Amino acid sequence: MNMQLDFEHRHAAHCENGVVRNLLNFYGIQLSEPMILGLGSGIFFSHMPFYKLHGMPLTSFRPFPGTIFNRVTKTLGIDIQWHKFKDPDKAMQKLDEILFKGIPVGLRVGVYNLSYFPQEYRFHFNAHNLCVIGKEEDEYIISDPIGMNKHRISSADLKKVRYAWGTSPPKGRMYYIKSLKDYRPLDEKMIDKATLKTCSDMLHIPFPMFGAQGVAYLGRRMRKWEDMYGKRGAALNLAQVIRMLEEIGTGGAGFRFMYAAFLQEASEMLNRPLWNQLSMELSETGDMWRDFSYHGARFFKNREGKIQSYDDLATKLQIISDRETDIFTRLEKSIKRG
Amino acid sequence: MKVNEVPQDNAFLQSDNQIGLRDRYYALDEDGKFQEVPSVGWKPKNAAIQFAWNNRAEEAEKVRQQVITGKYSPLAYHMERLLMTSSILSQYTGLSRYKITKYCKPRHFIKMKPEDLSRLAAALNISVEELTTID
Repeated sequence: MNMQLDFEHRHAAHCENGVVRNLLNFYGIQLSEPMILGLGSGIFFSHMPFYKLHGMPLTSFRPFPGTIFNRVTKTLGIDIQWHKFKDPDKAMQKLDEILFKGIPVGLRVGVYNLSYFPQEYRFHFNAHNLCVIGKEEDEYIISDPIGMNKHRISSADLKKVRYAWGTSPPKGRMYYIKSLKDYRPLDEKMIDKATLKTCSDMLHIPFPMFGAQGVAYLGRRMRKWEDMYGKRGAALNLAQVIRMLEEIGTGGAGFRFMYAAFLQEASEMLNRPLWNQLSMELSETGDMWRDFSYHGARFFKNREGKIQSYDDLATKLQIISDRETDIFTRLEKSIKRG
Repeated sequence: MKVNEVPQDNAFLQSDNQIGLRDRYYALDEDGKFQEVPSVGWKPKNAAIQFAWNNRAEEAEKVRQQVITGKYSPLAYHMERLLMTSSILSQYTGLSRYKITKYCKPRHFIKMKPEDLSRLAAALNISVEELTTID
């Protein structure tokens, strides 16, 4: 059986935002990608030495995968459904069943076996999102938001990436929109509530490794890296942080800019000039993150020169942490007062 | 970041790739408004990725030498090269970690059952012939 939904594929900066935006758009709800990020409180930071990816501490710039979809749909009163399966064949059957009802389905997949990714990008990263929008013979038509175009993937390959293994395996997870009967259009209250949630995540989690203070925590750990892992190990850890910062669709510096774009959009919508100012300041911290990556990358070249030490990099993180704390504190206050 | 500062340093994305993978940045235009700009990559990120893979290749080469000296089996080399650990490979194949560690030794490797061999090869995305050689 062949079919393809009339689904508008649009490229996005981040996979989950992109899937959520494209799914909502399919149902006639038009929101920008930054607005999705804002409503989903998708900006975050955590550095967890006890949670490993490739044997190195995981640094993440986003909340746990799936969170943005859940938060955005809950806020807008949209009814959704999640599934996960033990049996891969059942997972594929269910996908067909929902798809043939005319419903686009979001999938969480691993990128290790994702055939259209360049080899260099394929590591055991299990939080990529894409949307299945059609099937022809044995091929699925997919909308992967980090691609400029729609693409195809064989059903055997799709099964493989849905059952990728490693840190937090997707286990065939799929999600879709069930009904819009309680849908509420976007309003000021929703934006305020989501923004307060973001501020709370960035400021008030009482552990040092989360939120804005987590950035400083990463800095403090970084000062010890050379002693802990040796020269090469330290550089590998740094490489992993920079990859998480800049890798396609995982967030990082890009998220600072995108959240800044959200603040700008909201500032115009709600007529709050202060938010535009905060937006500009957050965009500056994005630049500071990029400066961090730029200097960090010098560790990977053996050329001697003006190499900065891990202490210098850690100091940069300390400054970023202070700036972000300040920005989110003022953002939070602006809502609580208003 | 300004619109004209969005980096376009391509290293890994093939231009003939039909899907057209891209980064996307929100950058400021001259009026201080955010605009979306697709990007093909950025040098520091490319350097980080390249460094991680170079390091991996060096580690794999060390294991390869140890395969030649008879310390390890070809499986150990391919696992190192392909970013596999015994625990992840065990999840993919259903073989126990103990078994996989055992097969990393030459004397157990040569006695491996053909079906285990093909399961391991399938999980590593290589052919059985490749799995039994180190070229």
